Amino acid sequence: MNRTIGWKFTIVLLVIGFMISVQYNTLKHPEERDTRDIWAIRQELAEEKKTHSELLKEIRELDKTIASYESMSEHNTGKALADTVEKLRQQAGETDLRGPGLLIKVKPSPESIAYGMPITSISSDLLIRFVNDLNRFKGLDLEIDGKRYTMLSSIRDINGMTTVNGLDVSTPPFEMKIVTQSMQDCEKLYNYLLASSIHDDFYLENLIIEISEPKEEVEIRGWPEKFENLYLEELPKGE
Amino acid sequence: MTMWLPLLGLLLGISLGLLSDIQIPQIYTNYLSIAVLAALDTLFGGIRAHLQHIYDDKVFISGFFFNIALAAALAFLGVHLGVDLYLAAVFAFGVRLFQNIAVIRRILLTKWTERGKVSDANELK
Repeated sequence: MNRTIGWKFTIVLLVIGFMISVQYNTLKHPEERDTRDIWAIRQELAEEKKTHSELLKEIRELDKTIASYESMSEHNTGKALADTVEKLRQQAGETDLRGPGLLIKVKPSPESIAYGMPITSISSDLLIRFVNDLNRFKGLDLEIDGKRYTMLSSIRDINGMTTVNGLDVSTPPFEMKIVTQSMQDCEKLYNYLLASSIHDDFYLENLIIEISEPKEEVEIRGWPEKFENLYLEELPKGE
Repeated sequence: MTMWLPLLGLLLGISLGLLSDIQIPQIYTNYLSIAVLAALDTLFGGIRAHLQHIYDDKVFISGFFFNIALAAALAFLGVHLGVDLYLAAVFAFGVRLFQNIAVIRRILLTKWTERGKVSDANELK
């Protein structure tokens, strides 16, 4: 094989090798086959749309806040800031809240009373399950036996007693209060809870829940303790 | 030395493609596969021609590019006509590949047996 032919074969083989490896790259890339059917894709799309609309809502609210800052004259800026802080406190669950809502009573079941079974405190697992079930609905504010349940609240078992925010939940009967955004939401939640399978879970622990009709006004208490701020720091002035 | 150069080219091409991680859209994979087939066909044709001492630079290089382009064009036409015309190209190139490789094998075999005979004859002398 003479030298020029060798060079030509080299170049041709280089091109062939390159093409083969590109083809290999392309074909091996989708290692996982997409096996979703049209409904699964639709569902995912719907979820994304929901996130989208939620984000839009948030943006709109923030825009409103910005607009209010801008429209306020200089000396009113302080008031606008105070309003925002108040709003944030409300969101965090530090303030008392009134609104349409439901009262839920947790009681020992009639059978357990008839058989004379000892009444025990509600288990933390059941309470967490119930709260998770409620959290299907957005924008709820919840109070469990007088303790406000916020984003930072915890339901735990401390030395055999179920606690919310570190405070004991009394043995049944006790009351839970839910405040919703609107009367319509409240009715939806009411209908959901009536049909929910959470009743069975309560009954297994010899408890029943009584759900009141939706009420125009329910008041729940704020969480009196201060939040511990671990991550945010005040900037020194002038920066 | 010159025998190893083409192999080096092949290795270089493959590693270049793998390392750069270039991908083409999924719909064009048909075109690329047929282009690879055409290129391989030309390559083996070139090797055969070289072994038969009828190798021509112009035929080899023009055949390389022309075959690739023709195969891709045929596939493209097939897509637009709704006929899997690229299968025709796959078939044609496939058959030619086999034929070329068969001829190369025979030539090499003959060369090998002849060399054996020559060395035997040398030993007899």
